[in-house]
Amino acid sequence: MPDRGSAPFTSLSPFADLYATESSAIKTSFEETGDGLACLRSRTELVDKLTAQLYSSLLSSDLKGPPNFCLAAAGGYGRRELFPCSDIDLLFLARDPQGLKLHRESIAAITRSLWDLRMRVGHSARTLADCGRLHPDNLEFNISLLDARYLAGDEQLFEKLRSQIIPHLVRRDQQDLIRNLIDLSQQRHAKHGKTIFHLEPNVKEAPGGLRDFQVARWLSVIHEMAERGDWTAPESLWTGELQRAVQSSVRFLSAVRCLLHFSHGRDDNQLTYELQEEAAARSLGVDYGNPMDAAEWMRQYYRHVRSIYRLVNGQIEETTPSRSSLYKVFQDWRSRLSNADFSVIRGKIFPRSPAPSKLATVLNLFEMIARHSLELSREAERWVEETSRALQLEGYDPAEIWPAFHRILGLPHAASALRQMHRLGFLTVLFPEFRAIDALVIRDFFHRYTVDEHSFTAVQNVWQLRAAPSSVADSSPETPDPWKEKFAELFREIERPDLLCFALLLHDVGKGMDVAKHIEGSLQAAQAVCGRLNLTPEESGMVLFLIASHLEMSSTMTRRDIFDPDVVRAFVEKVGTPERLKMLCLFTYADITAVNPEALTPWKAEMLWQLYAMASNALAHSVDQDRLEISGPLTFQADRIIPFVEPEASASELESFLNGFPKRYLAAYAPEEIARHFQWARQLSQMPVQVRISRKGHSSELVVLTRDRPFLFASITGTLAGWGMNILKAEAFANRSGVVVDIFRFHDLFRTLELNPSEAARLESDLAAVLAGKVSVSTLMARRKSSPELLQGKIKTATRIDFDDASSSRCSLMEIIAQDRPGLLYQISSALAELGCNIEVALIDTEAQKAIDVFYLTSQGLKLSPQQQEVLRSALLERLTGF
Amino acid sequence: MKKVEAIIQTSKLNPVKEALQEIGVDGMTISEVRGHGRQKGHTEVYRGNEYTVDFLPKIKIEIILPDERVDHTVEAILKAAKTGKIGDGKIFIYPIAEAIRIRNEERGDSAL
Repeated sequence: MPDRGSAPFTSLSPFADLYATESSAIKTSFEETGDGLACLRSRTELVDKLTAQLYSSLLSSDLKGPPNFCLAAAGGYGRRELFPCSDIDLLFLARDPQGLKLHRESIAAITRSLWDLRMRVGHSARTLADCGRLHPDNLEFNISLLDARYLAGDEQLFEKLRSQIIPHLVRRDQQDLIRNLIDLSQQRHAKHGKTIFHLEPNVKEAPGGLRDFQVARWLSVIHEMAERGDWTAPESLWTGELQRAVQSSVRFLSAVRCLLHFSHGRDDNQLTYELQEEAAARSLGVDYGNPMDAAEWMRQYYRHVRSIYRLVNGQIEETTPSRSSLYKVFQDWRSRLSNADFSVIRGKIFPRSPAPSKLATVLNLFEMIARHSLELSREAERWVEETSRALQLEGYDPAEIWPAFHRILGLPHAASALRQMHRLGFLTVLFPEFRAIDALVIRDFFHRYTVDEHSFTAVQNVWQLRAAPSSVADSSPETPDPWKEKFAELFREIERPDLLCFALLLHDVGKGMDVAKHIEGSLQAAQAVCGRLNLTPEESGMVLFLIASHLEMSSTMTRRDIFDPDVVRAFVEKVGTPERLKMLCLFTYADITAVNPEALTPWKAEMLWQLYAMASNALAHSVDQDRLEISGPLTFQADRIIPFVEPEASASELESFLNGFPKRYLAAYAPEEIARHFQWARQLSQMPVQVRISRKGHSSELVVLTRDRPFLFASITGTLAGWGMNILKAEAFANRSGVVVDIFRFHDLFRTLELNPSEAARLESDLAAVLAGKVSVSTLMARRKSSPELLQGKIKTATRIDFDDASSSRCSLMEIIAQDRPGLLYQISSALAELGCNIEVALIDTEAQKAIDVFYLTSQGLKLSPQQQEVLRSALLERLTGF
Repeated sequence: MKKVEAIIQTSKLNPVKEALQEIGVDGMTISEVRGHGRQKGHTEVYRGNEYTVDFLPKIKIEIILPDERVDHTVEAILKAAKTGKIGDGKIFIYPIAEAIRIRNEERGDSAL
């Protein structure tokens, strides 16, 4: 058969006319019906028609010839899914290299003609042997053969490709093909932040897009062909519900992609805000022709991509080839996490009983995810969905939620648990308020994700700080992200990461509410949630503070001069306490980094840290200046305490108790707690020393109320040291009438109180005896010899003592940084007492094994003279470094 | 044609942007920069560790304008960015040889 490609000229004008007329008709039909799949079919038929005509004009007038040579469609064209501006993939197949050589001119003429018709053609000319070989550098070619479809030429040759060559290749190389496909998909997902919730998503490449649907099909085809050796249609393997959902999603996304191609005039698959408006105006893929709100239309979009994302992830999990033996050991080890309600098999959770269960059991399931980063099996997903429906119908006690939910939020994989809860509709059963931001698009130049996903990403980012290297352990100057490291240090210091995450979860709920400012809406929702879940006043106080102030720090650092002390002072006034400052700083970090991965530039991170450091210093140095002066009606803070005060106590008694305390005392403690302190202060006339010990999380708290006296602070710290307690934090405040409230948070190094509950009463009585002068501290101290291991810190901190006479008008501030160890505070405070220094305020903190203590000191009612400061410095340095 | 480059306090970005919009200057390029002139940096001590801030955060605004609009623009920036304290920043003016709009290859003032 002669090669007709060498014919000098074939007029393209009839082809061009046909192509132009029919393309225009396809576009018109799409605009009238919005049917994307019909558009793909019509365009495929049109291109089939053109390629057949060109084939017969330029290669062989007989469409079934020549022998041993054929033309096939590959890729999307092979699947009959040709989008308006997609590439047209052609495969010219010959039995041997001579066949390709013989028809080289014709092949070039056909592809050139298609290019001249302004079609984007991708072609490959291969022999059967080529097609049967694995191409490690071009596995896309091997994959594209899975979609190959006969167009013209020797049918038997094509049949050989399809029934022998491809199945043989797949059976032989299925592991490589699957692994490569999965790796490429996971890289693509990572490039798109592993989330479907993009504000302007790419409908082909983003997670849950059309590419994922194809990946799921390919994985299924490869798997089935390797197992059974036939071309089982993947759709027939998917369950009825999944199949319906996926078909509907593919129909929707196909229509959207057609719109994008027609609008952009090229293969651009980004669903921009403008085209979202256009699609919503036509209700594309939903109820064509009846306009709908763009945000609501986008919710439909996310619902569809969620089905496809679920499909592809399920397929990836089912077909992932076995990995290293170490990984298997890890997965087997994780199966030990099984319990009475759930089995863990290969890193996935399965419910033991298919029947819907109680709220507590579902929460336990998500706690396992948050703790161990496990995946839900399809059975578990169905079980959660059914239980959610049952809980919604039958109701539940909302007070059951918080004890388990706060544990979930306080675990490293909290964001993963929250995402899965939301995906399965369980989160909105717990918090119907969250429905307002379900897949909500708020148009903003900087935000990359929907509002719900932004909140989950913020929780994820804050927990990722846990994985950041510690500068305490590794102070290498070449750490990759020094700012992240600093925020990671802060994260390690906070006591309640769960409250931070709860505030992050709810902080933008107001964006989906009909309110003037979103913060007002979020606060309203958070107040309702905190009340319903029965959070303690301290817990809800922190959550509401963070939500109310969540823009405070970023607006201060970008709109104010943070190097102006007045700006820092005003900011500190709003924040109130160091714990709140740390939480707000971390909240701001998480919120900004969740806008998009590049939003927190090193420049902004530095500003945020600067503001934090300056505010932290200002908080420690301004306590004395900012005292409560009650003259006339009760202040707002005092007003909050009244409801918790016993009825026989008068308002004037409360006023006199509060008068002169630093405002920080009122900001740091809940009204109920202050009311309790007031109650104990009223009992001082009968019992001059009030001592209370209670358990607070992993540590214990001691509150001492008494009248101020020399050696008071030293006596308390000495008694605690004598009992082997390590003081982590302490705050000592005094009011105008000389009543002292000293609050210590300590770590029970030998678990004395935990293992012997009655010992708490004995410690209280020892403290009362020491403070009453009945027992000396040295007697108690002599009872305990600290073990050398406890005194040896893993990290060495040099002792540093600084004085500041400028921050307070009546006290000298002394800041000590030293290696933390049991008894340290007693050494410091006893030295202060021996040198005649009175502690007006003490702020004691510990960071890793570094003690950071600030004392506001007076000597005979005056600031310390420079000479006294020097004597004090030498005495302390001698004691602390000679230790 | 001139380029007006202003280094200003971070807190003055919004006032300057608004002042420029008021006089009809809409196009500008903003960068987050660090630097110091006479203001120098300072040392902050946080928990016993010293952090030396050698370069202070600033905002750089770049605007390309026809010659006749330069004075008016500079005046607007001065008015909006000035606090009278050290660290208010600086304005630099450079001559520009040509401007070309990439989309349609327009040149000169009409490309601005």
